[in-house]
Amino acid sequence: MPKSLLIISRQSPWSGPSAREALDIALAGGAFDLPLGMLFLDDGVLQLLPSQSAKALQQKDLTANLQALSMFGVEELFACRTSLAERGMTSTELSVEPLQIVSDQDIAALIDRYDQVITI
Amino acid sequence: MATLHVLSHSPFADSRLSSCLRLLGGDDAILLCGDATYALTASTAARQALEAKADSLKLFILDEDAKARNLTLPEWVQSVDYPGFVALSVQYDKVNTWL
Amino acid sequence: MLSRVFEFFIIGPIHSCHPLTEPSMKFAIALYSPAHAASSRRALLFAQAVLCGGHDIVRLFFYQDGVHSTSANVVTPQDELDVPALWRDFVSDNRLDGVVCIAAGLRRGVLNQEEAERYSRPAANLPAPWDLSGLGQLHDAVQAADRLICFGGP
Repeated sequence: MPKSLLIISRQSPWSGPSAREALDIALAGGAFDLPLGMLFLDDGVLQLLPSQSAKALQQKDLTANLQALSMFGVEELFACRTSLAERGMTSTELSVEPLQIVSDQDIAALIDRYDQVITI
Repeated sequence: MATLHVLSHSPFADSRLSSCLRLLGGDDAILLCGDATYALTASTAARQALEAKADSLKLFILDEDAKARNLTLPEWVQSVDYPGFVALSVQYDKVNTWL
Repeated sequence: MLSRVFEFFIIGPIHSCHPLTEPSMKFAIALYSPAHAASSRRALLFAQAVLCGGHDIVRLFFYQDGVHSTSANVVTPQDELDVPALWRDFVSDNRLDGVVCIAAGLRRGVLNQEEAERYSRPAANLPAPWDLSGLGQLHDAVQAADRLICFGGP
């Protein structure tokens, strides 16, 4: 039985390659059919804002790849409720689905549930 | 199941410690290394936040980082060397480094 | 020349330094920071302590800015610790699997001979013992290991 991996993505989409490189880990694991989950935490939830324009910064479209996660077999996607609230995103329609909004206690249980975790 | 959380960023410039404290499981532990050791500086919100959890949270610090910064350690923090760090990583079910 | 010898810092092949008091575990160690970050040296000392403790290292995986920790082009001032050289020696002396992520390496200009030629770049800076490979190697290590430890940041 393969080990499950939770990837916690904490960085904003435009500050550097971290958001992209966290996603690359997820997509690579999905390609190998590994049981993966991805949690957006702290500034990582900013990746989920709708109608962002990568073109304006001459960067690749991260949102399209995030939306493709479930197609790559990464179906367990989570976003931290507290992080969303801190950034005024509680009522925002997020750009990725399906997505579970999770509490701090849920996240502690999530980390427990997965065999390994990488926080980027 | 218990996780060892490893932090190395200064708590003054960064939200990793406060996020970590919010998400801790009941049996989890924290290892402070690098600039995260500054969280034990007296009269700081970071130290108070850690002290408030001293009953329930196991807190470790990497000895070389405490020495480098001339930190005075309270008795509720345990100092470890590298073999001790390895032993902790074996003892806990997983290690979550807040990169 | 090192200005100090660190307490249990060992150069050369490592044999068990402490009697094993717990079952031997397999470690996957990932590094995300360059050689001048404190966390790169910290990862190295941790890795040494893993072997000293009688455990195994399945793979060392260098991702994000961790690829810079493997660059042969880093020139360290003489009175500082030559961390890239120490990483290189640690991996070759202990015959470890040291993998540098190719995507992260290319993006940051850390190239082996093959990739330097492929992209017509003036220099290759990733000789042996380093292997350039994909994220699949990270996942493979995570599957094979009992413990995954990441190092990065300050």
